[in-house]
Amino acid sequence: MKAFSFEYKRGTTIIHKLDPRSKFIYTILFTALTVYFVNPLILFLVFLSSVPMVIIAGIGKRWLRSIRGSLFFIAFIFIFNLVGNFWTTGSIADAIIMSISMSLRFIALISIFSAFFLTTSPEDLTQSMVQLKIPYDYALTFNMAMRFVPTLSREAQIIMDAQRSRGLELEKGNIFQRVKNYIPVLIPLIISSFRRAELVADAMESRAFGANKRRTSLYVLTMDRRDLLFISCSLAAFLAILSLKIMLGIQ
Amino acid sequence: MVSCRSFEDVKELIVFEDVSYSYAPGRYAIEHINLSIEKGEVVAILGENGAGKTTLIKHINGLLKPQHGSVIVSGMNTKDTTVATLARYVGLVFQNPDHQLFAETVEKELMFALINFNFQKEEIPRRVEWALKEFGLIEYKDRPPFLLSGGERKRLALASVLCYDPQIVILDEPTTGQDYRQKLHLASLIKKLNSEGKTVVVVTHDIEFAADFIPRAVIMSKGRIIADGKSEELLTNRELLMSASLLPPQLVELSWDLALNPPTIHFDEVVSSVKKLLGGKKS
Repeated sequence: MKAFSFEYKRGTTIIHKLDPRSKFIYTILFTALTVYFVNPLILFLVFLSSVPMVIIAGIGKRWLRSIRGSLFFIAFIFIFNLVGNFWTTGSIADAIIMSISMSLRFIALISIFSAFFLTTSPEDLTQSMVQLKIPYDYALTFNMAMRFVPTLSREAQIIMDAQRSRGLELEKGNIFQRVKNYIPVLIPLIISSFRRAELVADAMESRAFGANKRRTSLYVLTMDRRDLLFISCSLAAFLAILSLKIMLGIQ
Repeated sequence: MVSCRSFEDVKELIVFEDVSYSYAPGRYAIEHINLSIEKGEVVAILGENGAGKTTLIKHINGLLKPQHGSVIVSGMNTKDTTVATLARYVGLVFQNPDHQLFAETVEKELMFALINFNFQKEEIPRRVEWALKEFGLIEYKDRPPFLLSGGERKRLALASVLCYDPQIVILDEPTTGQDYRQKLHLASLIKKLNSEGKTVVVVTHDIEFAADFIPRAVIMSKGRIIADGKSEELLTNRELLMSASLLPPQLVELSWDLALNPPTIHFDEVVSSVKKLLGGKKS
């Protein structure tokens, strides 16, 4: 659970200082590539594109943790595709290549999104969404959802402790039993989330949230030369990879 | 193998031997904890927020295993014992009832632990009945726990642990959000549990509650135990309370202001001292 929290920490590197919109352009372009290609080499290239960002931003440790945290899903994707493709094509070689591609696609996505969220403050992200003309309500909803992920994961841990103290054994039984074991954890988690949502709503309204249709901002994000350079590099890399398809016919 | 002696012949029921635990490297939540609690004792663990109280009690039923040192509960080393095994002897009631209530009805909530611990079918309704009565929840039997008031939910959480009759009862901040009458009820419950031979550990920063009802105090600060002894001695020690960032009980403050020697946490003693002072002036 911790792996997907993408917790932002303040930083002073060039990557941190970039306008979220520039990083967002990179994220969109390369996400599109991961979906477009199935060739494992290309997918590996897409994955590699995020590595310089991670190194420059100095977020290697937490980036690795994100990837390590998703190993379970990667294993699941690999096995699922292996069995599925072998079933449909009957060729073990094809099935292995396909499974590698699908796993790489997932790793590339995790890496790209980690690079984005680990270097972008939630406030800047909200502000950039507003400047992209996304209604403030939606931008704020997104921001708060991100903000509450770590809170929720901490709370899940406390609830698990509380139920284990009453004799609940989460690891007991077969797979169906195990899923059922989590009901006493999920229900309090959902209910307390609702309780909190209501509290936050009340607190916001009592501070006049939504009283004025037109909001003004204390800080306005601006793009500078660094942003233009970053966007140009992203775009060039994107076109270069895309041209491989046209020139070499790689899928 | 785990050596498990019966409850009767273990005198020191809970023993911490040089226990340290840290959540993040470089900063200990508790450090070099040595503590021994005997069967039938009632102990208050006091300290400011972040002193390590909750981390300490999570070691008693094995939710946390010591990274250094060892915790022995009723002769069982918690490192070699599952939480489910320990929980049968150690009832831990969490601070926020919303972190454990989940069942459709109050009755089913009470049955949860009983079923987990494989109580016999005939035994379960009897224990549920007892808990409903003891905690004044009988009229809410068929209601969903979430629709109860805050105080009632707190009582239900307590009931859902006490109904399986654990030998050691640990209460994490049981007085928060309770009015004075509920506190008195809680105090008499603790007394009753104790008279049945149970060991009770209360984690709290409600110093008045500890001063009024709990004979032994363990004071924590910054992950360490800085004092352990009789409540009436520790809670009247000005330097000690200051260094633990605890406010003294009101009676103690009054005794200081009146320069009573020695200062006391007992109402009767303050009253008789005041009477003596007044009487002295008149004559």
